[in-house]
Amino acid sequence: VSTVRIRKSDGHPGGVRWGAHLLAAAPITWLAVLFLVPLGFTVVFAFGHPTFGGVSTGFTLANFKESLSGLLLTVFLRTLRFAAMGTVLCLAVAVPIAYFAARKAGRYRTVLLVVLLVPYLTSFLLRILSWQILMAPGGQIQDVLNFLHLHHGTLNLLYTQTAVFIGIVYAYLPIAIIPMFVAFERVPNEAIEASKDLGAGRLRTFWHVSLRLARPGLATSTLLVFVPMTGEVVIPQVLGGGRGLLMGGLISSEYLTSQNYAVGSAMAVLVLAILVCAVALLSRLTRGFDEVPA
Amino acid sequence: MNPEEIGRLVRGGTRREFMGGLGLAGAAALLAACGGSKSASGSSATSGSTTTVTPTGGDLAIYSWPDYFVEKNLKMFEKSSGVNINISTYSDNGVLFSKLNSPAGSGFDLAIPTSGWIPQMAEKGLLEKLDHEKVPFDTIEPSLLDKNYDPNNEYSIPKDYGVMGVIYDPAATGGEVKTWQDFIDAGYKSGVSGKVGLSSSGWETVGAAIWAEGGDWNTTDTAVIEAGGEVMKEFAKNVKTFNTYDPNSLANGTLVLSQCNQSTARSAILLNKKLKFVVPGPTSEIWVDNYVIPAGAPDQDNAYAFLEFQLEPDNQVTETEEIGYPTAVKGLETLLPKSTEERALIFGGENVDLSNLTAFVVNPETIQLYDKLQNEIQAAA
Repeated sequence: VSTVRIRKSDGHPGGVRWGAHLLAAAPITWLAVLFLVPLGFTVVFAFGHPTFGGVSTGFTLANFKESLSGLLLTVFLRTLRFAAMGTVLCLAVAVPIAYFAARKAGRYRTVLLVVLLVPYLTSFLLRILSWQILMAPGGQIQDVLNFLHLHHGTLNLLYTQTAVFIGIVYAYLPIAIIPMFVAFERVPNEAIEASKDLGAGRLRTFWHVSLRLARPGLATSTLLVFVPMTGEVVIPQVLGGGRGLLMGGLISSEYLTSQNYAVGSAMAVLVLAILVCAVALLSRLTRGFDEVPA
Repeated sequence: MNPEEIGRLVRGGTRREFMGGLGLAGAAALLAACGGSKSASGSSATSGSTTTVTPTGGDLAIYSWPDYFVEKNLKMFEKSSGVNINISTYSDNGVLFSKLNSPAGSGFDLAIPTSGWIPQMAEKGLLEKLDHEKVPFDTIEPSLLDKNYDPNNEYSIPKDYGVMGVIYDPAATGGEVKTWQDFIDAGYKSGVSGKVGLSSSGWETVGAAIWAEGGDWNTTDTAVIEAGGEVMKEFAKNVKTFNTYDPNSLANGTLVLSQCNQSTARSAILLNKKLKFVVPGPTSEIWVDNYVIPAGAPDQDNAYAFLEFQLEPDNQVTETEEIGYPTAVKGLETLLPKSTEERALIFGGENVDLSNLTAFVVNPETIQLYDKLQNEIQAAA
């Protein structure tokens, strides 16, 4: 399979490149001010001395020591398991939808995408809170399951792990679908026809051709879903009842309840360091297939 | 029916449905349970004749808990004063403290912290000292003034108050809950275990165990707090949720035993009359939410004008009826219509002795321990 990359010999005059630099400057400034500067503060705080609701600057490793002595490690490992499980479930739902939208929906493709994305214009909190109503005993999910004879009597779903995972899959679905939609869309028809000509069935073609060629989309989706899941706070609180503490809850309580910005920052820095390593590793693993056939 | 009324009904309807199910505030569910707003009573109230502050139009930025004001009253004030009210909300005193403690917190004219956070806010210089000449203190219940968290009310004016109690289904617990020890014991019973609600604040969960032993939750003795934490970590396996603001999950049996404030309890009992609410002995929590003016507030005159309006007895009664917490107006017991459903519960129940209850005061030396224990309890649940 031949690959086409953006060619440098496209003959853009120099002016356009300057324009491009100027265009890039805006988001870079945005990122620097709103992301790097706060990150810098977090790192400085992590080495400072905590006061209630403040930090006096200095250099100490005590905050890291305190972070590691408590629940951090157990909660961190639990959070990783949670995010991995959530990512697998989310992708399992997203792959068929993305595939269908990209290759089977035909002229309804745009409509389908709009239908998928429109709910996300509403407030995140409201959508999650709506799930709370649906899942509650006597709620609509119970009614539907009872009607279909899939369940009998009161449904004990709210404030369980299952409820949390349903919420997680729902909330992250569009982020998982879009990159894979793009990837599936780019799989050349010729490759699929060739596979069929060579005698592969639908499933085999999907598995060995479409999905293989869509790996960059799969990798992007995994990253985009997994990383924010490790910081998820709201869904475990609202649908899980706050049982089984996760990383996001631990760090936010260190900031907001204990008002200990130093230890909160140290925890955040530790988690960030581990996640950066994980992301670097993942992007290295996926580097081999970043060329998408045109 | 004019378009504005329709708009209000539609908005009210959706919010009721949401809030009722969600437990952000028991207040909305209370509205739903009451079967519509009883909005007639305050209609004659307008700005009184004792105006000491004349608003000059402009803005009033309020930073508040969600759904903590009566829409109708806000409209009335806006109309009579020409002031434009903007409300932003928080769901946690920690969030309020952090925000006022940062540049993002500038620009608010009024906020409503809970009693225990006021000393730390004052110490950090986050609050304006009140001009007592502009506050009608004579309309306020004297027992809620000059408290340990703000002597002489230098910084704060009580808005309303609540108590920490226990709501339970006697059929499930198989008996009455009278003390915090009863609460802890009942949680382990089959049919109750796994259907218990605990607070999301460490001092309230660990507090239950400290109170059961007759202790004081404002203690600085970490051994007492640690011991309480151990009791509740063991107890954690019985817990279903750390969200105790949802009357529906109490009414429909998701929870059969839960820590709970009296307003959420009242909403739940209006939905399910079998439930009982008690403020267990030997002691429990009283909290008071207070109006404060954040340091450097840009429109302080508007804040004072609004406070004067808000503290008028008629408006205070309307607020009690619609929000569900007892406002700090003097003589509320007699002012509140006798027909109010589950009237006694608004004040915490028939037999509650408020003088026996204590407010939690945030202490930098112990709050971190309480927070750590809460995290351990939630992790163990």
